[in-house]
Amino acid sequence: MRALARPSSGFLLILALLLLWEVSARFDWMNSPNWPPLSVVLAALARDSLGGELPLLLGGTLWRMFAGLLAGGAAGVIVGLLFASLPVTRRLFGLTVELIRPIPIPAIIPPLVLFLGLDNTMKVTVVGLTAFFPVLTNTMQGVRAVEADALAMGRTFGIGFWRRSLHIVLPACLPYVFAGFRVALALALVVTVVAEMIAGEQGVGHYLVLMQFAGRAPEMYATVILLAVLGYGLNRGFLAFERRALHWYFALGAQRN
Amino acid sequence: MLSRSVLSWLPGLLVLGLILLGLELAVETGWVRRALMPPPTAIALTLWDLLASGEFVAPLLSTMELVFTGFAIGSALGIAGGLAMGWFPAVFRLLEPLVELMRPIPKAALVPPLMLFLGIGTTMKVTSVALAVLFPVLVNTLQGVRGTDRVMLDAARTHGWGTAHTLRHLVLPAALPFILAGMRISLGLALVLAVLAEMLSGQGGLGFLILDMQRSFLIRQMYAWLIILAVLGLALNGLFLLAERRALHWQPQSN
Repeated sequence: MRALARPSSGFLLILALLLLWEVSARFDWMNSPNWPPLSVVLAALARDSLGGELPLLLGGTLWRMFAGLLAGGAAGVIVGLLFASLPVTRRLFGLTVELIRPIPIPAIIPPLVLFLGLDNTMKVTVVGLTAFFPVLTNTMQGVRAVEADALAMGRTFGIGFWRRSLHIVLPACLPYVFAGFRVALALALVVTVVAEMIAGEQGVGHYLVLMQFAGRAPEMYATVILLAVLGYGLNRGFLAFERRALHWYFALGAQRN
Repeated sequence: MLSRSVLSWLPGLLVLGLILLGLELAVETGWVRRALMPPPTAIALTLWDLLASGEFVAPLLSTMELVFTGFAIGSALGIAGGLAMGWFPAVFRLLEPLVELMRPIPKAALVPPLMLFLGIGTTMKVTSVALAVLFPVLVNTLQGVRGTDRVMLDAARTHGWGTAHTLRHLVLPAALPFILAGMRISLGLALVLAVLAEMLSGQGGLGFLILDMQRSFLIRQMYAWLIILAVLGLALNGLFLLAERRALHWQPQSN
């Protein structure tokens, strides 16, 4: 409300920077063909997203991102539940998982290309691998945070392992799982774009590199802006979804971390 | 004590060994194509050649230098920005909208524009890494500064501590756990961006080598360089955890 009444210094700063962008490009202060005015970039953005190929590319990128996120996230939850509730599995496979984790994800793309080619399968796998680790870590934390009382009560009532997992452990660690998914969501968008940049000829990432090589700067900046808006929107959307899905958790007065 | 920790590692090592053995057999029996996946022993030999000849040193150092420089610059800017925004409300009001505007940009998408401006050399790569590191560190620092104990701050004021003194001896230590958590997230990002920038610019370092080996169908070399990169990732992570524990020795251990 206050921002409407009197623009804060922060908004003025952004306005000034945008104005500087426009003016510096109009008068060619940067002395560079790669510095188009903001208005031209916005025009390119409007043109490409209304009539151009961008919506289709974006759809493909989003499809790969969500497919990878769901597959990797589901695997993360399952492995996390297993690792945390059956320590033996962690003993056996934990080391292998920990050795894969620190590999920077772009480096996994070249070997995967050999096995899975340049198209969707490879990209969804890369995104899945990215999403797997944060969800795994958070799920394990969540299981550890399940109240011992709830577990003991379940045992007292003679509820078996699987029902206990499904009806006590899973709901109790759901807030942690969601936190893991939120981290994974941001990473998934980045990694989808990275995979598209490095390999194949699909999606927004490839378009970005194509525009760079073609020297079409306005389209390139328009794509960056679009990705930023997308990243922001996805995070916002996820937070809203989390509020709905975990309403009982927030109703207990828990603070979002 | 030692034998106990060795024992706890044993099952994991055994499984890893079995996986490698299975891979070796799968390749030998022709179940996995040799052109895609050389047998682990062949990769190990190639890796040994790279290590013994010292060929690995230059690319490894080049990637490490990139990660460290970008990480240091990004962290320094992030900590300074976070402190200023957390301490001075005017700075917060000035910079907060800008930070919120820049934060959701996937930093990987900034590499192509940066290449147009800064070329494909070191400047571009360091800038990419520093930009990726900056925001998580800044946001975490800000959170840490905000979380400083009110009572302590009042006590500092009562004792007539100046701004610089309070920041240096009260706010910074109080925010340190948050700052280090942000830096730990950023370290992984720094490595990702470094590898990506090397791949896209087509020169220098481990990232470029891995992509280049794949495109030249030198598959054994590709896996060998990938292992070197993975070890670098593992070592950086381990070193950081160690440094974090030392820096926060005064904090009660959480687990």
